[in-house]
Amino acid sequence: MATTAEMQHTTASMDAAADPIIQIDNLQKYYAAFHALKNVNLTVRRGERIVICGPSGSGKSTLIRCVNRIEQFESGSIVVDGISLGEGMQNVNAVRAEVGMVFQQFNLFPHLTVLQNCMLAPLRVRGASKKEAQAIAMKYLERVRIPDQASKYPAQLSGGQQQRVAIARALCMTPKIMLFDEPTSALDPEMVKEVLDTMVSLAQEGMTMLCVTHEMGFARSVADRVIFMDAGEIIEEAEPEFFFSQPKNERTRNFLGQILNH
Amino acid sequence: MIRDFGWFEVLSIIQGMGTTLALAAVAFIGGGVFGTAVALARSSAWKWLRIIAAAYIDFFQGTPMLMQLFLVYYGLPVFGIHVSAWTAVAIGLTFHASAFLGEIWRGGIQAVPKGQNEAASALGLGYVSRMRDVVLPQAIKLSFAPTVGFSVQLIKGTSLAAIIGFVELSRSAQIVASTTYKPLLAYGLAGACYFAICFPLSRVSAYYERRLALKT
Repeated sequence: MATTAEMQHTTASMDAAADPIIQIDNLQKYYAAFHALKNVNLTVRRGERIVICGPSGSGKSTLIRCVNRIEQFESGSIVVDGISLGEGMQNVNAVRAEVGMVFQQFNLFPHLTVLQNCMLAPLRVRGASKKEAQAIAMKYLERVRIPDQASKYPAQLSGGQQQRVAIARALCMTPKIMLFDEPTSALDPEMVKEVLDTMVSLAQEGMTMLCVTHEMGFARSVADRVIFMDAGEIIEEAEPEFFFSQPKNERTRNFLGQILNH
Repeated sequence: MIRDFGWFEVLSIIQGMGTTLALAAVAFIGGGVFGTAVALARSSAWKWLRIIAAAYIDFFQGTPMLMQLFLVYYGLPVFGIHVSAWTAVAIGLTFHASAFLGEIWRGGIQAVPKGQNEAASALGLGYVSRMRDVVLPQAIKLSFAPTVGFSVQLIKGTSLAAIIGFVELSRSAQIVASTTYKPLLAYGLAGACYFAICFPLSRVSAYYERRLALKT
């Protein structure tokens, strides 16, 4: 856990495709007639941090939602940590238990306290005792630095605090992969940093992360790879230094021009 | 023979009130359990289950409870199943209440934001836990007011059990009215008894609604 972000970065790039934790092949997804994902291929190595960006409607959220099968897909295959999705609910639940997800709208359970939100999955999925679940929950609430809010209800917290609780809730399942679906998009500007800081520290611990975000500062400093999607396709992927300084594709250049120049 | 309106008459109306309460309790418990099942079927991922539940709801919402009670009471013996009046009324009220409660709670389940189910799924929770721990508690809160509204209707509706021989509140008032020739007094007292049951229910519901709203 003491490894610095830089060391992680070099080891991750050296492993190049040696140890894929997510393998997505020929993924196709339709919403009725709308072709949401067009033949997407993506390999994610263990410990890799990937930022996915692109205009709205480009399929980036849909892509990461397919990884834990919150979204169904029509054809193609996704293998997560050796478990193939699309072979019945048994596999889906096995994958979901290993993959944490953080949503734009937090999606905390409003009728449960912060502590109960975090205890629920360890209790029901891992079969932990109440005492164990509570210990796990407190450990990760401390990890996101809000153990003092444990007995409050989500509505009593700020947006930034709620999102950190959502991260803690996902971490309570000790996931191998974390998916972030625009985690800071619904936040007031002054609360973005506390959530990004939490994500950066997760990255430093070597968590495999797939982040859909428009926080380009985060992408620059944390990502091993930045992926640009448009109209359901992966248009470009590169290490952040090349992605931002010398984007190859016209559409990537337009997109970066729009989000960076204001 | 005309009787005076004395303690005996008051007591028989109060006894009728006890039967009404018992009928209401049966309807709530049966309707609550089966209504949950109907609501879950109605919001299920399986199309045929949704269709069956919808047909069930349409039938019992589209026909009078009077007819439903008749159907059970006189219909079951046709199939060789002989039931007591209590069993018949319990089955009839359960059918009726579960159709209405099922539809009310279906609305509640579908009003819970989709993100709640997604977050629960993403944590690896199975269907039972997703419903019991996440969706239903919120759905019940959302459908609290119409649930109480229907319950009050149901308590008053139990008067229909009189037609298959129950001497509940309305029937006892009718008997007292016809033996004392004081219909206004008899029905007035019965009305006061209904009010005494239903009014506190409405108040308690308003109180809990406020408390639930404060909590989240």
